[in-house]
Amino acid sequence: MDTDLSLERSRVRRESEQERRASRRRKGLRNFLKSLFSHGLINLVGLFFLIPFIWMLSTAFKTDQDVFHTPPRWLPYDNVRVELNGQQLPLYNVRTAQGVRKLALVKIAAGVGTFVDPQDPLQQLQSKFQQGTTVLAEPIMQISFQWHNYPDAMSRGSRPGVGASFWVYFENSLVIAFFTIVGTLLANTPVAYAFARIKFPGREILFVIVLATMMLPYQVTMIPIYLFFNDFLHWKNTFLPLIIPAFFANAYDVFLLRQFFRTIPEEMCDAARVDGASEWQIFTRIVLPLSVPVLATVTVFTFLYAWNDFTGPLLFLDKPNMFTMALGLRDFQGQRTMVWNQLMAASVVFTVPIVIAFFFAQKTFIQGIKLTGLKE
Amino acid sequence: MQDWLGTKNVFKQKSPGVHWSRRTRQNFWLGMIFLLPWTIGFILFTFYPMAASFVYSFAEYHTRKPLVWVGLDNYVAMFTDKLFWISLENTLYMVAIGVPLTLLASFLCAVLLNLKVRGQSIYRVIYFLPSIVPTVASTLLWLWILNPQSGVMNTLLGYLGIPGPNWLGNPNWSKPSLILLGMWGMGSTIVIYLSGLQDVPTHLLEAAELDGASWLQRLRYITIPMVSPITLFNLITGMIWMFQYFAQAYVFRGTNDLGAPLDSTLFYSVYLYQAGFQYLKIGYASAMAWVLFLIILACTLLMLKVSERFTYYAG
Repeated sequence: MDTDLSLERSRVRRESEQERRASRRRKGLRNFLKSLFSHGLINLVGLFFLIPFIWMLSTAFKTDQDVFHTPPRWLPYDNVRVELNGQQLPLYNVRTAQGVRKLALVKIAAGVGTFVDPQDPLQQLQSKFQQGTTVLAEPIMQISFQWHNYPDAMSRGSRPGVGASFWVYFENSLVIAFFTIVGTLLANTPVAYAFARIKFPGREILFVIVLATMMLPYQVTMIPIYLFFNDFLHWKNTFLPLIIPAFFANAYDVFLLRQFFRTIPEEMCDAARVDGASEWQIFTRIVLPLSVPVLATVTVFTFLYAWNDFTGPLLFLDKPNMFTMALGLRDFQGQRTMVWNQLMAASVVFTVPIVIAFFFAQKTFIQGIKLTGLKE
Repeated sequence: MQDWLGTKNVFKQKSPGVHWSRRTRQNFWLGMIFLLPWTIGFILFTFYPMAASFVYSFAEYHTRKPLVWVGLDNYVAMFTDKLFWISLENTLYMVAIGVPLTLLASFLCAVLLNLKVRGQSIYRVIYFLPSIVPTVASTLLWLWILNPQSGVMNTLLGYLGIPGPNWLGNPNWSKPSLILLGMWGMGSTIVIYLSGLQDVPTHLLEAAELDGASWLQRLRYITIPMVSPITLFNLITGMIWMFQYFAQAYVFRGTNDLGAPLDSTLFYSVYLYQAGFQYLKIGYASAMAWVLFLIILACTLLMLKVSERFTYYAG
């Protein structure tokens, strides 16, 4: 009786142990499936964001013919070539009476290619490339990166014969971005300081007006500003209409800087005031040195804005040697023949400074977006 | 909203009377000096242009010729201008379909990026990176991706056995193409949503989980209401931005081909640019700009009003 009971007990224990193990297994399986699903989904959506980059890079490394190969290939290919009498000739697999042979193409006339044997250049052979659906001569390809697309693209201009190259556009973009950053930092910081720390009558209502200007669409002010710079000041085809407005405060940066300045302890400013410091001294000696992170955010976003800007340069610059990268790229695309590989190479050069900036200042980027919800 | 800006009781301030103390007066002038970079800029680049374009909108104006008053003619002309209505319709399509779709997609992406998976930070970078590609570069890239013969999009669709459309050449597909391009660069919206998701109190989610709420129920009844202020913010900024949609459409079709195919990408701002800078109808373009401003204002106020019922503010 006694042993029966203990046997029974151990049986029950064994069963519940098994059940627990099974349930743990089930739970493990469910978690596994769940994580498999979420991983799959996050990767699939990730492809949507990633593939265009891959396509951009791959195109930028392709030859002119390879760009239009159908179906498109993921990796850049080029003909295998041999040198014959100082000429680079593409190699073909040619179907001949003696079977498939590796021959070099010398010339094409009326759909018929003239081939020679690289080992025996005197032996010539004529062949069509295709007969019906059978391929008679097929180029031998290999993976090959056309690094020269980058210097080729950069050293050409969007319009032939003008002399301005993408290097000039790149430089123009840099010059504009640099002065825009300088102007933005100089103009917005004192304004933001006044809104954050100087208690003057009318401050709140003025700040609401500042924020309200964010609502105003650019189209409303665009034409008078254009006429002012272009007809009144005759600043067309100079960088001034793009740079000078940056030397006056704008709502976004004032807001961003003010939010940060307000987090600096008031007591520090008050202590300095008691010691007889002027507001200007408090601003330049105490507040600005403590605001390096937000100044970095403003710098990065101003660079992004100036580098990216299309409408401004479109309105004020139409001489090719004054073009920015954005304008030059669009002009390049407007040509009759699309040179996609060089266009993509120039786009890569256009994008790289920003990607580098992002990897150096990831936190700054993310912080800035969270603070202002900046678009574009 | 006012609390968030830190500008409570703006309109209940004591009016600046004559009884300012010496200190107040000093602060006032000090403030004005610090504000100079804004004040001058506001007058030169906001106030004067607004006033000028308002004046132009009631006139026919060619540079170097005197203004000719035409009263409301420019505004009346809009009603009978077929292209005006087409451009408005195209823009409303983008606002009504493109903005909510992009918002939904970026919310779902943020939910994905908030899952605890290995390599989370790498995924976040991948999802975000397209948004910093310069507009002209990303537009050209998508022009190439959507190339019907040699583009990668139709190749991929071909793998799945789907015949891809002639994206940009087809008036029915040109706007969806632009929406797709916009979705590729929606990284900043994802970031804003992601920060909102991280602010959803975990104790609420845990309590709901203990009560047996499924993942979908937690999303529906806790997460979505908690991020509704962010949705409103993204919706309004997205709408304002979309009403001014210009650079992408301009780069897609080029100077001599604006609006093609069949005016399907002739957006409001594109037509405004054409009217002002190609046809040199400054008065008409100014009137269009003011109508745009009023439309944006009306839509924003409407959204704020409607959203009161759908938005939840914690605390």
